Amino acid sequence: METRQPSLRIGRNVWDPINMPEAEFQQRVREIRRKMKQRGLDILLVYSNGFNDCGNTCYVSNYGIRLPRGVLVALPLNGEPVLFFEGSSRGLPFAKTTTWISDIRPCGDVAKECAKYLSENNLVSSSIGLVGLKHQMPHRQFRSLAEALKECTVDDADSMLQDLRMVKSQRECDQIRRSSRIVKHVFDFLANAAIPHMNETAVEAAIYREARLAGAEDVRILFSNPGEDQWALRLPEDATVAEGQTFIVYLAAAFERYWAEAIRTFVVQNGSFEEPELENAEALFKRIADEIKPGKAVSQFCGEAIKEIQEDGFGLISEYGFGGGIGLSLNEPPAITQVHANDLKEGMCLALRLALKDKSLGGIMTANTLVVKRSGAELLTASVGTLNKP
Amino acid sequence: MSNGNLNLRKAVEALRQRGLDGLIIYSSGTCSILHASYLHYFSECKPLGPHNAALVSKAGDVALLVEPPWDALRNSRISWISEVRGSADFTKDLLAIMRQFKITGSVGLVGSREMTINIYSAVEHKASVVSADDIIEEIAREKTPDELENVKKTARIADLGFNAFLEHSRAGIREYELVAEMEYAMRRAGADDIFILISSGEHNYEMHEPTDRRLRKGDIVIGEITPICEGQFIQLCRTVVLGKPSPLLVEKYDMLLKAFHESLKTVRPGSPAGALSQAMNKVISDAGYAEYCYPPYMRARGHGFGVGSIAPGAVIDDDTKVDLQENQVIVVHPNQYLPETGYLACGETVLVTQDGMERLSETETRLYSKEV
Repeated sequence: METRQPSLRIGRNVWDPINMPEAEFQQRVREIRRKMKQRGLDILLVYSNGFNDCGNTCYVSNYGIRLPRGVLVALPLNGEPVLFFEGSSRGLPFAKTTTWISDIRPCGDVAKECAKYLSENNLVSSSIGLVGLKHQMPHRQFRSLAEALKECTVDDADSMLQDLRMVKSQRECDQIRRSSRIVKHVFDFLANAAIPHMNETAVEAAIYREARLAGAEDVRILFSNPGEDQWALRLPEDATVAEGQTFIVYLAAAFERYWAEAIRTFVVQNGSFEEPELENAEALFKRIADEIKPGKAVSQFCGEAIKEIQEDGFGLISEYGFGGGIGLSLNEPPAITQVHANDLKEGMCLALRLALKDKSLGGIMTANTLVVKRSGAELLTASVGTLNKP
Repeated sequence: MSNGNLNLRKAVEALRQRGLDGLIIYSSGTCSILHASYLHYFSECKPLGPHNAALVSKAGDVALLVEPPWDALRNSRISWISEVRGSADFTKDLLAIMRQFKITGSVGLVGSREMTINIYSAVEHKASVVSADDIIEEIAREKTPDELENVKKTARIADLGFNAFLEHSRAGIREYELVAEMEYAMRRAGADDIFILISSGEHNYEMHEPTDRRLRKGDIVIGEITPICEGQFIQLCRTVVLGKPSPLLVEKYDMLLKAFHESLKTVRPGSPAGALSQAMNKVISDAGYAEYCYPPYMRARGHGFGVGSIAPGAVIDDDTKVDLQENQVIVVHPNQYLPETGYLACGETVLVTQDGMERLSETETRLYSKEV
């Protein structure tokens, strides 16, 4: 889901090598280099910028972007990788605690610094793979780097990393399980808390606090009131949460780089968030989740989900889609659409969403993070009330 | 803070003066402490998606294009711009509006710093592109009463953030738990985003995001406490000692306070911004720490804060020549690494007034200590 980026990630920023040891990154690098060799690449330049799609550099380095500035990892086929980040040298000691890469270079402009590095290492006429640059690097930097690469053979290598990231390792699934635990915890809190001064700002603040205290590095929140004539997910506002109101909460939390998300539909009763009886919608979500099987085409799954909804007589709110991959970014391939070419695979982690029209509540939204296992989907964020239980 | 029609009129006037067919005010959805939020300033839109823009024609047509498509409803409620379009294909929709608004000859581009090559090239293919950040910077130079009220509201929230910092700094609490409590206090008071850097220990090297570290007796806890309301940042730089501070620490912090106060004396309209840095660095240099005043140890001694403009700039150092102007919001911080004490945080945000400056926060800038 698209959400508003913060100006800084202010949650717990820790690299716990028990959860994500250096061996995991070495394994990734070996696999990337195997693919580089197949494509004849001498070096891979991996770029990220901003907090919503910094997964590529994080996948290689574990370095988490701290301010919305550029990060670039240069991974040569042979030799040590280099991590360039836009920031002052004062940030170096802390950066070293969050990545296994030892050659870290703070700088003002990663494009210029990377060009210098390529020149110094006689790589200006090599075969270079680019990941993330075209879609994320500001145009001026891209052009200055492209100028430095004009004698290189340049290969768009986005799909290379995308394919690797799409199927998660056991350790990645465990990290997503941990972030899912935070999401579950916060929804449990909401379902049990009496929040004084029921307005959206107070509810938002309480959610942030619960998630942060549980170790969330980044938190995203959207609310909605489907009782309104026109409604959509939106940022919390300084508005009263009224008794009897339907209240939809979207929550995503990242733990040690990995995201999980869920959506719940509540009704406000007696000053607290109650889960309404939604047996039909609950059964529908479960049936759709049960259709997730490794080997099934994503497009086929999507078609089956639409059919299930139609057969149950629900009206689908299509704007939010059915979700897609989740991991180091909130929005990763595969997008669950009828045109997606990939098959579902064991080890994929998905955010599965369902938005339905409902006469009495105005609308129902539900979503869970899940991992695709050999036997089907395991829902990681389902625990509250009756809705969304596996 | 709605000043939409006036902003539109000024933007159209600027287009005519420069002979431009239109203006694109772009945002990649990021929000940076060291950059203005042009789109937010102009349209009041806080973007969710990766590509968003307001388009203005020289005839005065205006439209807001946002991603994802479902976010159009929210923006149509909060923005003064009546034509809000949601987009699932930003480049295609942007070019369509350019055609509709007859922006074909030359276009001013605001926020191009954030624009990726694919979108920039597509725009460049349709019109001659001129960087035009200064159009919004110029409009934003004059602050409205509502903007100034928001500045003061945000400053009050920063005080609440500091109160939480002081209240919850105690032996045993982890850094990230302390930050959670500060964030809670400020969000509850109405902050819509929070920027906090922190460090704890007997000798700190820099401020960073919070870690698992538990605070201990004798720790020096430093923080940059920065709530954001409607795009306006206000910052307090504070140091709290857990236990009785050593005479050495008191002496060094007093030196930073002197630097801070000397620096504030230079803040007035017409004074070069660099003077505040020079005044600060002189005190610290006279105390024997000249080499620690400059890179790699320190660089910026302050910077501007604002929604449509962060004038006098993202870095105020000795060489900053630009003059301060009335109603600019600047943080003045002699944050300093000293070899004996480590990194110390000291400073706050002030408003440049007609006669000098106004301190925006109620909490005093001094060394705080807590009994353990």
